[in-house]
Amino acid sequence: MSRIIPTVLGSYPRPPWFREYLRKVEGLQKEGGRAMDEATYAKAVGEVIREQRDAGIKLFTDGQLLWHDLLCHLATKIDGFEMNGLIRYFDNNLYYRIPKIKAKLERRRSIVVDEFRVAYSIEHEMKTVLSCFTLASLSEDEFYHDKSELVMDIAHIMNQEAKELVRNGAKYIQIDEPSLLYAEKEDMNVMKDAIEVIRRGVDAKFFLVTYFRDAERIFPEVLDFNVDVIGLDFVEGYEKNFELLREYDMDKEVQAGVVDGRTTKMEDKEQVKQKIRAIHDAVNGETLYVSPNTGLEFLPYIKASEKLKVLCNSVGDIQ
Amino acid sequence: MNNRKLLPTTVVGSYPKPNWLRRLIREYEKGEISNKIMRRAYDDAVKAVVKEQELAGVDILWDGEMRRDEMTSYFARRIEGFTIYGEVRVWGNNYYPKPAIIDELRYRDELAVSDYKFLRRITDHEIKIPITGPYTLVDWSFNEYYRTREEAVYALAEVINQELRRLAEAGASYIQIDDPAIPTHPEEIEVAKNSIEIVTREVNAYIGIHICYGDYSKIYPEILEFNVDQIDLEFANRNFKDIGIFKDYEFTKDLGFGCVDVHTRRIESVEEIKDNIRKAFSIVKPERVYVDPDCGLKLLSSEVAFKKLRNMCQAAREIREELEG
Ligand SMILES: [Zn+2]
Repeated sequence: MSRIIPTVLGSYPRPPWFREYLRKVEGLQKEGGRAMDEATYAKAVGEVIREQRDAGIKLFTDGQLLWHDLLCHLATKIDGFEMNGLIRYFDNNLYYRIPKIKAKLERRRSIVVDEFRVAYSIEHEMKTVLSCFTLASLSEDEFYHDKSELVMDIAHIMNQEAKELVRNGAKYIQIDEPSLLYAEKEDMNVMKDAIEVIRRGVDAKFFLVTYFRDAERIFPEVLDFNVDVIGLDFVEGYEKNFELLREYDMDKEVQAGVVDGRTTKMEDKEQVKQKIRAIHDAVNGETLYVSPNTGLEFLPYIKASEKLKVLCNSVGDIQ
Repeated sequence: MNNRKLLPTTVVGSYPKPNWLRRLIREYEKGEISNKIMRRAYDDAVKAVVKEQELAGVDILWDGEMRRDEMTSYFARRIEGFTIYGEVRVWGNNYYPKPAIIDELRYRDELAVSDYKFLRRITDHEIKIPITGPYTLVDWSFNEYYRTREEAVYALAEVINQELRRLAEAGASYIQIDDPAIPTHPEEIEVAKNSIEIVTREVNAYIGIHICYGDYSKIYPEILEFNVDQIDLEFANRNFKDIGIFKDYEFTKDLGFGCVDVHTRRIESVEEIKDNIRKAFSIVKPERVYVDPDCGLKLLSSEVAFKKLRNMCQAAREIREELEG
C-alpha cells in the first residue's frame, strides 16, 4: 500500500499585496526592471507556504511567485535567449512571452537557486520546478535548427542548476513538461537522454510532470525515463490516464492531479476521495502524491487555499 | 448590405482614457469623490472622445468605453448570477478580475442603453455599440453553476439578447458583438454560432461580430453561417498574412477590415493605409467593406490614437473618391 502525500503542482497565486508590489517595482510592460527587496519576497513566500501548510499540504513549493510564466523566468536567466511577443499559453486565457534562441544557450549564473534558498529557510520539504522539453518546444529557435541538440543543451543547463539546488538542500526536483503530451515519438527518445543528463550526479528525487491533457502519447516510452515520479492530469485526462495506469505495470511513483486547478468550483469531497482510492488501488509505488492538476495561478488568491483544503480533506479520510 | 456611404470608417470600441479621468477613477475607488461627480466626469470624457473621433473623420463612432474598466468584468458586475472573487493573471504583472458564475444568469442592470442614449444626445454621427458576446464572457469566467459550458453560454445569450432588444427599441441601429474567444476553441464553434442566434433573436439592427488575435483558419468558412451582417477582423497586426484564408470561399458578409495596427505607436501614413484598405477588395467588393483599426485603441496614447484614426479616415476618403470617380 502506498502512503498518500498531498502536494501542489507549482504556482500559487501571488498574495494581493505582493502582486501590487511587483506591479510597482517591475511595471506592466514587457521590459520590467527588477529592484526586488529580498525581505519583501521572503514575506510573500512565507505567506503562501503557510497557506499550503494550513490546508494540509506535506510537500511544498515556493509558489513560483516571481515567475511570469513557465518559460520566461527560466529563459531570461539563460544566455542565448531573447524575449519576444506574447502568445496564448495552451488553451488558457493566459499569455506568455515567446523566448527566442539567438545563440548557444549557456548558464552563466544560477536560475532559481536564490528563490529556493529563501523558501528552504522556511520549509525543508520543498519541491523546485524546472523545465526542459517544454522550454525548447515553445521557444523560437533561430540558432540550433536541431531540436535534439537544443533539448540536450537545455538539459545540461538544468543539470548544473539541479546540482546547485542540491548543494543548497534540495531533495525534490520537478521537471514540468506539458509540451511532452504533444510530442512525437522521436522527441521521446531525445527526452529520455535529456533526463539522464539532467540527473547526472544529482542526488534528489525527480518528478516528471504533465498536465492539460491525457498522457497517451508518452506511454509506454515514459516508463523507461529515469525519473522517480510521473505526474499525470486526472482532471483533463481522467479516463485515459486511468486506463494507462491499469494497462501498464508502473514501477514508478505517481503524482496524480485530482482536483481542477483552473476552476473556482469546489469538487465534492466524496468524489475526490473515490478518485484517489481508485488511483491508489492501481499504483504500486511506495508513495502516491496527490495534487491539483495544474498550478494554482489560474485562481484568485482566496480560492487557492480552499482548493487545497478540498484536496487534503479527501486524503485525510483515506488514510 | 447596407445603405451607408462607400467605405464607412468606424472604431472597434475603446479609446485611450484621458489622464485626468484615470486619476479621478482612482480617487473614486478610494471613496474620495461622489457618484455624481464621477458620472459628470465620465460624461465629460465621452464628450471629449466623441469630439476627437469626429475631428479625425470617423463616420460611425462609440463613446470610447470611457465607463468600462474591462470587457469581461464590466458586464459581469451588471448581470445576476456572477460574482468576482479576485484577480487572476493574464500575463506577467497584468491581471483581470475574473468573474465566476455562481447562480442562474439573469438580466439585472442595463449594460449599454443609457450610454447609448447619452451618446445619441451629443452626436449626429451614426453610433455603433460594442458588447462582449456570451461565448467570450463564459470562456473568460469560471463556471460553478451550470453543468456544461454550453448551458452557461446559452443562458448568458438570453441575457444579452434582452439588452440588444432594449438597445434596438431605444433606436440603436448598429450593434457589435465582441467575441475574440471564439477561435480559441474551434471545436465549440457550433455553440458560439447558436449563442449568436440567441443574442440576435428579434433584434432589429445591423449586427457585426468582432474577432481579433486568433487563428481565423480555424473558424473560416464556418463563421459565415453566423447570424450577423458583418464580420470585423484584425489584419494589420499580422501584416495582412491572413487574407489568403478568406479566398477559398466566397465571403458572404460585410467585412470590417482592421487596417491599422493598435499594438504599435508608429503612425501609418495615408498612403500605407490606402494600400492596406485595397487589400480588402481581394476578399469582398468595396461596397461591403467597413474601414477600422484592428481592435480597441485604449493601449495607445490619445495623441497616437487620434493620428492613426485621422490618417485612416483620410485614406478611406481618398479611395472612396477614386472609386466614385
Ligand atoms: Zn479586438
